[in-house]
Amino acid sequence: MAKQQTEVRELQEGSYVMIDDTPCKINSYSTAKPGKHGSAKARVEAEGVFDGKKRSLSQPVDAKIWVPIIERKNGQVVSVDGDDMQIMDLETYETITMRIPDDVDVSPDENIEYLEMEDQRKIV
Amino acid sequence: MFPGATDEREGPDTRGRESDRGGANFVVVGAPLDATTTFQPGTRFGPRRIRSFAEPFDDYDHRTDRYFSELGVFDRGDVRAWNDVSAYLEYLTSALREAVWNDAVPLTLGGEHTVSLAGARAVKPDVFVCLDAHLDLYDEYDGTSLSHAAVTRRIVDDVESVEEAIVLGARTGSEPEWERAADDDVTVVPPEAVGEWTPDDRLEDREVYLSVDIDAADPGYAPGTGTMEPFGLEPRELRDVVRTVAPHAGGFDVVEVNDRDDGQAAALAAKLVREFVFSHADG
Repeated sequence: MAKQQTEVRELQEGSYVMIDDTPCKINSYSTAKPGKHGSAKARVEAEGVFDGKKRSLSQPVDAKIWVPIIERKNGQVVSVDGDDMQIMDLETYETITMRIPDDVDVSPDENIEYLEMEDQRKIV
Repeated sequence: MFPGATDEREGPDTRGRESDRGGANFVVVGAPLDATTTFQPGTRFGPRRIRSFAEPFDDYDHRTDRYFSELGVFDRGDVRAWNDVSAYLEYLTSALREAVWNDAVPLTLGGEHTVSLAGARAVKPDVFVCLDAHLDLYDEYDGTSLSHAAVTRRIVDDVESVEEAIVLGARTGSEPEWERAADDDVTVVPPEAVGEWTPDDRLEDREVYLSVDIDAADPGYAPGTGTMEPFGLEPRELRDVVRTVAPHAGGFDVVEVNDRDDGQAAALAAKLVREFVFSHADG
């Protein structure tokens, strides 16, 4: 899985983080002030990018943590076939098949933005 | 640790299995905030006092025929407090929301009453039920809106899900607070009417958050609190309200206990936590 390591303190709302081996988008980031004992802790609340499930973590701010590398791509709808659509990547011209989300209405020649991580994709 | 609760710091059992808090039904969180207390401070000692004075209580509850230690109560310890109340509440909210996400009921041990705002933000109730000597409806006290004297106002005004507040045992407030209390979204039940109070069907199919400010009790029963207000409730009246509301409540706290007595306030608070757990489990 494409990911890189960072420290918890570098995370911020709107960025991505791995929780339970799942790429998540951070909704809320809050830190506790350290006392005389122990280090400052951060709490992160996030939502799975591809599964939408809510997850949270609590770690010292200097702990190492994995951040997924998620690419934002542009594609063009080539054709629609039932619940699936053919998308052409506008950079590589590679054609891929994606399931059409329930809440999205697409038509051929339309340009869309999507997130891609390995073989997982999600329309933005 | 709250007596009868489990602790995630427990070592693996004899089969090497780590203790699992994912299955907790209740999560105890200490919130020793002591930043805006007025008159007598000391709520920073509340959580440890409450845990300590819960020690002599029997595990078995005869009324519900249940054992406290079998009800899935997990004590995650305290969320250490610091003086930036807004930042602290944000962090505390996140910790309590984790319990809610795990389908557990957060049980917050205060700390000053301001911590109820974090509980309400985490649980997102429709109804805020509160036992309190004071209205706590100041819009601002000592120049801050995040004050223990303004907590009910913050919850009813600022927590989007909250439709109404029911304040039981209130017997004092400023004139502007009584004016705010006269609005439709606030119900005040005076001490002499609490014994007869019943929610009827007001709590049916609604998410409820229950907060107990220990100063709702008459100071003779709970002197260990910052702003004692005479002519208060009998302990059994508080108990009966907790028993009535607990089955409907998705979150609970007991607040404003300090260390300025011989344990009376903490013992009452600890007993009310247990009453809540038994009654909630009993449905």
